[in-house]
Amino acid sequence: MPLLEGRGLTKLFGRLVAVDHVDLAVGPGEIVGLIGPNGAGKTTLVNLITGLEPPTDGAVTFDGHALRGLQPPAIARLGLARTFQIAQPFRTMTVRQNVAVPALFRADPAPGVAAALREADAVLEIVGLGPKRDLPARALTTPDLRRLELAKALALRPRLMLLDEVMAGLTPAEVDAAMEMLRRVNARGIALLVIEHVLRAVMGLSHRVVVLHHGRKIAEGAPAQVTAAPEVIRAYLGTDHGAGPESAPP
Amino acid sequence: MSRQAPRRPVTAGAILAAAALAAAVAIPVFAGTYYVRVITGIFMFGMLASGWNLIGGYTGYPDFGAAAFIGIGAYTTGILMLHAHLPFAPALVGGGILSIGAAAAMGSVLLRLRGHYFAIASLGFMIVLQQLAANLDITGGGSGMNLPVARSFTTFYYWTLAALVLAVTAGFALPRSRVGYAIAAIRENQDAAQVLGIAPLPYKILAYAASAFFFGIAGGIYAYWFTFIDPPTVFNVDFTIQAIVMTLFGGPGTALGPLAGAVILKSLDVLLTNISVFFHNVFFGALVCLLVIFAPRGLAEIVRARGGLIEAIRADLRESRI
Amino acid sequence: MNAAAQIALQNAVNGLLIGGTYATVAVGFSLVWGTLNVVNIAHGALVMLGAYVTYWLFSLYHIDPLLALPLTGAALFALGYPLQRFVINQVIRASFLITFLLTFGLDLLITNLALAAWTADIRSVTTSYSGWSLTAGPLALPVVRIASLGIAVLAAALLHLLMTGTRLGSAIRATASDLEAARLMGIPVAHVYALTFALAAATAGIAGGLISLSFPIYPAMGAGYTLVAFVVCVLGGLGSVPGALAGGLVLGLLQTYAAWWLGPNFDNIVAFSVLILVLLVRPAGLFGRARRFRG
Repeated sequence: MPLLEGRGLTKLFGRLVAVDHVDLAVGPGEIVGLIGPNGAGKTTLVNLITGLEPPTDGAVTFDGHALRGLQPPAIARLGLARTFQIAQPFRTMTVRQNVAVPALFRADPAPGVAAALREADAVLEIVGLGPKRDLPARALTTPDLRRLELAKALALRPRLMLLDEVMAGLTPAEVDAAMEMLRRVNARGIALLVIEHVLRAVMGLSHRVVVLHHGRKIAEGAPAQVTAAPEVIRAYLGTDHGAGPESAPP
Repeated sequence: MSRQAPRRPVTAGAILAAAALAAAVAIPVFAGTYYVRVITGIFMFGMLASGWNLIGGYTGYPDFGAAAFIGIGAYTTGILMLHAHLPFAPALVGGGILSIGAAAAMGSVLLRLRGHYFAIASLGFMIVLQQLAANLDITGGGSGMNLPVARSFTTFYYWTLAALVLAVTAGFALPRSRVGYAIAAIRENQDAAQVLGIAPLPYKILAYAASAFFFGIAGGIYAYWFTFIDPPTVFNVDFTIQAIVMTLFGGPGTALGPLAGAVILKSLDVLLTNISVFFHNVFFGALVCLLVIFAPRGLAEIVRARGGLIEAIRADLRESRI
Repeated sequence: MNAAAQIALQNAVNGLLIGGTYATVAVGFSLVWGTLNVVNIAHGALVMLGAYVTYWLFSLYHIDPLLALPLTGAALFALGYPLQRFVINQVIRASFLITFLLTFGLDLLITNLALAAWTADIRSVTTSYSGWSLTAGPLALPVVRIASLGIAVLAAALLHLLMTGTRLGSAIRATASDLEAARLMGIPVAHVYALTFALAAATAGIAGGLISLSFPIYPAMGAGYTLVAFVVCVLGGLGSVPGALAGGLVLGLLQTYAAWWLGPNFDNIVAFSVLILVLLVRPAGLFGRARRFRG
């Protein structure tokens, strides 16, 4: 029984079809990668799932609950966390305080501000931001902001995390570190839906990969299978080439 | 042998605060009536600024119509004293409670708006209440309302002081509380706050209602103090402007900034108004302009910048100018 | 036609006529808001200054108010340019509260300096044709108000032409759309911002001149017009000249009818209630929101 299940998800902006009848499922503890060329509709799909955009058609259930019509705070409290492409820290609050916020407002909250701050400290250790815990969030570098996003999502004690391009702009060494961190997160039983362009990361992490193109799902399966599929190669390069998405720039 | 749990040290700040409070309580015993009145005025604006800071500074929703609640508090206190023959204390509290109710009702509508829209809509709310008060009989319409005359002035002093202490305490307690974390998150990034489990509206209403309470109390005190109220006097944007400027001057989103701003600016204002009322308005107008350009984060920033003050100002300007 | 229908129709005419003036008041406000993202609280004060300029030109030099409109516009243009260039530009990239407060402070200053200079005495401009009225059947159409509506439409058309048909208009729209990109393309953005504000001030001045023909002039008169401008922009959508025109007419009609049904003291209540309703139900206004000034 899948943890997250989207059926027939569709989003129209006027006459532009951003997402076209997409079925998507993530099982408990699974890592699913979502890839596709720019403009394929990945972020819109994530917005549909997390309630930031209402779908034109289709339904999403999470842990048996229908998500349609739920506001983002309710969805978060069900155990569905997401990170944003552009980091959204609480700029004037410290790193610790940033992470304490979700700890205080999730479904099973920390019993007080002091407890939430202690929990935040623990989470910050996991993502490697411990030493920077008292800095204001606006003082962080981009990779650190990503880590902060991850920490905040973790503090929500989610069962599923939606990671929206967390690897963008990282050096290969940073990508490796991030992959290791995500494996540790997954080892705690948290399912991951990873939207990425950094294909090395997606292929290395995912149990299963879903490919989107022009809002439609064009392929799904194990990483090696998907990257060799001709439709996928065509989507990335436009014509039949020997090369496929794994040769796209990281 | 038992080990004692570590005690939290009594900070210098707490000692200072206790001393200041003791001094404040003692003032009417020693000072003449004129000074007691002036200081009451300072306390009142300290309370207004600290109250405004709850919604304007901490939550980031600048309420330009806060004087609406001064009017509500003033008229409620007046009506309860005149028509229901209640003594001042319950009438005053009644005014405060009605302000909270009005804020909860109006806030559930207004606080869905953001930015400019909220600012102007809240101002519009005050303008409308002013016009309503001028058209109703129970408020005495355009001719206003006369309250019973108070017997002693020191009542006002102590009520205002009590409310001020409450407002400043709220300013301290809020950012350290769970509610405060929600409010800070909402101020910084409302969308991000939502995906972390915070439903914004109830928290915004809380801050708005708390601020309204203090404005309502101020209104009730003002009404009994000055004995006569009419719509343009109590539904007066001037109160709001002063509260905003004092908060901005002292440092929005800090616990003591608004009070500091109130003390300094109100004292200056009293000096200037003795010369001419014209100066009051031009002073505040010019001050707003200068403050906003050169010290948008208020005194708090200046105090922190110390030596690098010019550089801090230049840095601010570089960020904000075109 | 029976009496009730006659009154209703007269009210409609009055509403449209005043609506034209509202549109002129609002169009500059909308321009500044849509382009500079500044809500100019002092806009009403600029209208007030326009009214006074017209008044002094009339009483000191006997220049007809309608003929003086270009002069009034020019005077406010000359005031608006340095105001934007050297004052408002300093904080224009800061948060909206900052710019809001700045224009608030400017409003206080301008209004109170006017009060000091000219006292609170109510002035008015009465020309030979002030009382003239055309009759169309049972309806009375004051000449002055018709002229106001006509000039309002003319000013709106000219502004629209400027925004869509000239290089300056393109520069303004480009800057409104993307400040950094415009700057990179070599557009002198500080200058463009100042010109935009100056244009808006000029239209505010012209609106003030038109208002002086029919309404009392006093320093505190501006606040009501700022509220009007805001409501019209919310109704008509931001950054749209036709929207400002439509919004002005709608507001004029609503207020006139409300005054008829509820009494004359309810104009602010009506404006505000309309504002809240529109903001909640259709935040993009009647004509939708254009984030950049469409002209």
